[in-house]
Amino acid sequence: MTNGDLEFFLDPSRCIGCQACVQACAECGTHRGQAMIHLEYVHRPTGVQTAPVVCMHCEDPTCARVCPADAIKQDDHGIVHSAAKPRCVACSNCVIACPFGVPKMKTELDLMMKCDMCYDRTSVGKKPMCATVCPSGALYYGRREDIAAMRRETPVNEFQFGRQTVRTKVNMMTAPDMRALPFEVLDFLPWEGKDFDPFELTRAGAPDVAASAVWEDFLPASEEAPARCGSHCQCHP
Amino acid sequence: MATLTIPEEKYIELYGPTPAHTPSGGWDNGEPDKLVKTHCCFCGVQCGIQLKVKDNKVTGFEPWEEFPVNQGKLCPKGVKRYLQNDHPDRLLTPLIRSEDGFRAAGWYEAMHKTAAAIKDIQAKHGKDAFAFLGGASMTNEKAYLNGKFARIALQTANIDYNGRLCMVSAGAANRMAFGVDRAANPWSDIPLAKVIILTGTNLAECFPILTDYVWRARDAGAKIIVIDPRITPIARTADLFLPVRPGRDSALANGILHVMIERGWTDEKFIAEHTHDFDKVRELVKRYTPEVTEKITGVPAASIIKAAEMWGPAETSMLLHARGIEHHTKGVENVLTYINLVLATGRIGKPGSGYGTITGQGNGQGGREHGQRCNQLPGGRDINKPEHREFIADFWGIPEPELPKQGLTACEIIDAIERGEIKGLLSISFNPLVSIPDSNRTRAALEKLEFFGCIDFFLSETARYADVVLAGSLQEEDEGTVTTGEGRCVRLRNSVSPPENARVDWKIICELAELLGKEKFFTYKNAGEIFTELTAASKGGPIDYSGMTYEKIEQNMGVFWPCPTPEHPGTPRLFEGGKFHHPDGKAKFHAYEYRPPAEDVDPEFPIFFTSGRVVSQYLSGTQTRRIGGLVDQYPEPLCEMHPLLAERLGIKDRDVVRVVTRRGDITLPAQVVKTIRPDTVFIPYHWAGKKAANQLTNRALDPISKIPEYKVCACRVEKVR
Amino acid sequence: MRSRSAALIAGAALVLATLAAIAIGSGGMRHFDPALTGYALGSLMAAFAVGYRFTVWAQRPPSRMYFKRGLQLLFRRAGKSAPTEKPAPIPVPHGAGTLGFALARNFVAQEFIRRRGLVRWMMHLCLSGGCTLAFAITFPLVFGWIHFEPLGGDAEMYRVVALGVNVDSFSVHSVKAFVMFNLLNISAVLVLIGLVMAAWRRLTDAGERATQTFTEDIVPLLLIFAVTATGLALTVSYKFLAGRGHGLWAIVHMVAVVSLLLYIPFSKLFHMFQRTCSLCVSRYKKVGATGPRAHCIRCGEDFASQMHVDDLKTVLDELGFNYRFSGAQGEVHYQDVCPACRRGLLALNQGRTIGR
Repeated sequence: MTNGDLEFFLDPSRCIGCQACVQACAECGTHRGQAMIHLEYVHRPTGVQTAPVVCMHCEDPTCARVCPADAIKQDDHGIVHSAAKPRCVACSNCVIACPFGVPKMKTELDLMMKCDMCYDRTSVGKKPMCATVCPSGALYYGRREDIAAMRRETPVNEFQFGRQTVRTKVNMMTAPDMRALPFEVLDFLPWEGKDFDPFELTRAGAPDVAASAVWEDFLPASEEAPARCGSHCQCHP
Repeated sequence: MATLTIPEEKYIELYGPTPAHTPSGGWDNGEPDKLVKTHCCFCGVQCGIQLKVKDNKVTGFEPWEEFPVNQGKLCPKGVKRYLQNDHPDRLLTPLIRSEDGFRAAGWYEAMHKTAAAIKDIQAKHGKDAFAFLGGASMTNEKAYLNGKFARIALQTANIDYNGRLCMVSAGAANRMAFGVDRAANPWSDIPLAKVIILTGTNLAECFPILTDYVWRARDAGAKIIVIDPRITPIARTADLFLPVRPGRDSALANGILHVMIERGWTDEKFIAEHTHDFDKVRELVKRYTPEVTEKITGVPAASIIKAAEMWGPAETSMLLHARGIEHHTKGVENVLTYINLVLATGRIGKPGSGYGTITGQGNGQGGREHGQRCNQLPGGRDINKPEHREFIADFWGIPEPELPKQGLTACEIIDAIERGEIKGLLSISFNPLVSIPDSNRTRAALEKLEFFGCIDFFLSETARYADVVLAGSLQEEDEGTVTTGEGRCVRLRNSVSPPENARVDWKIICELAELLGKEKFFTYKNAGEIFTELTAASKGGPIDYSGMTYEKIEQNMGVFWPCPTPEHPGTPRLFEGGKFHHPDGKAKFHAYEYRPPAEDVDPEFPIFFTSGRVVSQYLSGTQTRRIGGLVDQYPEPLCEMHPLLAERLGIKDRDVVRVVTRRGDITLPAQVVKTIRPDTVFIPYHWAGKKAANQLTNRALDPISKIPEYKVCACRVEKVR
Repeated sequence: MRSRSAALIAGAALVLATLAAIAIGSGGMRHFDPALTGYALGSLMAAFAVGYRFTVWAQRPPSRMYFKRGLQLLFRRAGKSAPTEKPAPIPVPHGAGTLGFALARNFVAQEFIRRRGLVRWMMHLCLSGGCTLAFAITFPLVFGWIHFEPLGGDAEMYRVVALGVNVDSFSVHSVKAFVMFNLLNISAVLVLIGLVMAAWRRLTDAGERATQTFTEDIVPLLLIFAVTATGLALTVSYKFLAGRGHGLWAIVHMVAVVSLLLYIPFSKLFHMFQRTCSLCVSRYKKVGATGPRAHCIRCGEDFASQMHVDDLKTVLDELGFNYRFSGAQGEVHYQDVCPACRRGLLALNQGRTIGR
């Protein structure tokens, strides 16, 4: 790549879920109307946390290794590309095996397509579409020293999935002084005998409005029950 | 009688909204002929963007990273805005009402019909019986022209604009407190703030680009306080979230100030030297103890104290608000009580310290500055002040008595049409059927019009009622300037010309003036000439653009007003050194007791109803409901409610519910989420007809600003299936 | 290395088989044309390379899994039994229908390419159709399986002899003769059309231009062009130039053909062999869709067939990946979590480290 000192940094905690990245991804020359980036609510019933996921471009990509047809290639810059059209047999091995859940199976095309860091742009010195437009800085493409100067979080590119270590080209912002992102699954799973809803954890950082608000019984039991704090309420001074 | 002549489905089939998914020429549309550096056509950030142009069509976009405000960043609307060009629904020729909807007409016929109707109505019922409604998404040039056209060509007092639905409460409050109506600080001050209050602003969805400014402040250690009945995306990670009960904002601000005064977190020196009337406020807020405030607002007393503890002693701070506190019958009071929080600390007019309102519309700021409002003349002048009237009458070359007096505001114009007092209407880029509260009454009013003319590029739901539709121009088909939410006047470049038989808006207005016999006042050859006149008209006024030229704006990537001389660099930050714009240079505190909303909950309608936006749609959706990607993102309105309320009503996620108010009802799917107060439901308002949230809302107006109360009324929710 | 020796054996076996086919098919070399020896040697080398390369590839864990399952599932009814169940006494190829359908749809009609783009599909049909036709003529000729001989003493009539059997005869003036003698030229025209379309795409499509490489995407087009052009040059030489330059063109053509043959196993053109895997995948998907399903252990969504998830666990183990989590609550394999939940977990874990 001509801009070898520019890297991708991901900080999902800043994301506001606006989907500018998704809309812009579809505009990239290699994508032609298909968005490769993922952006979903983690669990909308309990909160507005969203998870933007681009391809992390693993050093040893699981997707490429599980491909039966040698269709997924990593280039000299470490970019893991969409499946080669002549080879892809649309088996979905990559979709199911990727630890980050990145590849997309376009069933209508019998073809796996995935984030290629906007190769047509990055290969000529431009930023990827998603990271250019992202209004929150959740997706950032730039120099390591710039992000170090701007942010309190530090970038890591190592993930520990249980016993599997995965190193990636794309960086994840995490707490200062972290070497790798500790990745936990068991805490977020329902277990027998466990008496809480694991999805409650998706509220990380944001409270239930009801829990942080004062509200009273708002539906009156009978016609006569006084409404609270309305025009006929006595509580205001 | 302006009634519909064909069924709704037929209008949709003929004129849309049709969601467009692919760019002009398809995904393989090849290399563009040129890239035009211009701005997004949507909200008041006015993001810089480069439009790809090929064969006189906009075929895509490229980020414009050099523009300092957004640095290439865009929200989903900005990314897809290019799809409004070369759109299948585009009006390509004037239309005249017929028995099967509309028939295509020539310009001669359409313009003469319009001019004849204006003359006829005004001859029979008086000049003021014909009204003009403008828009705040149009250029400064057009805003100025609309005002001049109404006063000189139509000679009507009744000209107003859809900004009346947007930030007039903030504007009025700003003038009352500071003597001028503009955000006090450039947005570049946000990252320098140590504490930020975001009140009544769903910043991440309605002004997404400012999210980055807020995050940059947080990167530097700032704390943010979000005040909203809903956990919006920016609220999720807030340091403090105050879930205010709808309609209680002024009480909350009074409560916070109570704690600040009690703890001594006020800047007495600043208050004494630079402000008036703090004593009245001090006296008033004594009653707003945290406990009392908790009872009124539904915000826990401990959170109110915490907010005061964060805000009070802060080193630097910014307070930003939007429609959440402004869309109330006490909108001006709400804004003024929050301004009290800023003035009491003296943290204004300094780097990283200040205040701003977030403008919703593309030219929300500029659209309200140049005389498009019923009470205002160019340069932000007051139509009721004799010296201001004199200046503008002279400038235009008409006798002062011929200059109409103050007329009715937007909602009042609709009311007057309903009462039969206004018989004719010309509107441009305004879709009141979707955007004005109580849409059933708006529809009834439209049906009563003797003549209704519309200038627009798509056939909006309102334009279906028109007698004549004049095919106008999209933003990229014209040029000019807009003034962003921070007071920065930026340059819109012409990218393409209007397609086929459509025309540039300002030329239509000028030609109409000619047909009304006023051509000598409207002799512009290009938009630049209108701008030159506009700046000259503003000279010496409260809003002074007189030192601006297109070249200067382009070179500086925008100029902040006031800019009174050609050498003047513009004024990014107001009130430096504590100098405010009232004649005595001081700011004013305002002591307002909390009062309930016009319609509060009661046993019959026990739930609060509030409305707002989603990130993928803009205003009444005339443009964004025609862009496929944006439609897919949030296809139709949902009713947000808390699981505690849902459970009580036996409603599950995606069940179909009916929400009823005293004015109307809407049937739609429920979205059961913990991100909203259990006593409140929320519906976004961008859709028309049976999906319009404004069927429910209350057209009660703020006595000062005449803004309607969109943000609170009482409703009942029933499960349908 | 076991896989390597297996591949060497496979390569050698394919060479021997080809040799045997030549020897027997040409009636003990009686009908072998010595002028074509160069082509025959090239074919033998290519045969070795294809055998070697195919075996190395087919032994990779994911490919091996699909071939193994493909074979097993061929004899199993969809939606009936688990892969471990004992086979019926007489194997019934229930999968033959799926297989035949997939063959016709993917290999002949190349329907999946049509869905990716009509122009692209026409281009590929021209290229693959033209090449297949050319090889279908030239291999039998080179190997001496087919030859033409004059019928009796009549120089006007020819007889087609295939594997020593008279299959046809025709007059040199007939339309049939024209078609017979010009089949190669017809295939060359087809290929040329395909080449022009491919070159146009490679030159104009922004996406292709960004991702294509010279060795992977341009060389095959150049090689195919070289073969086609030199082949046509031969025709031009003997038809219009009275054979001038024929000797030189013959050598250049042979070099081009042999280069292409040797390039195939080591390039993207090898997909013509690798796509056999798609036949297994078709059957695998069909059986998987009706068999037991895997439900995400986090959200409960059905996200794949249980067979697929289980097989991937095996494949990952074979590849040396270990995505198992263990803790006080027990052990979990990451493959049992659906891709959507994995994306959510990424945000949750990251948010947790920085408290938001």
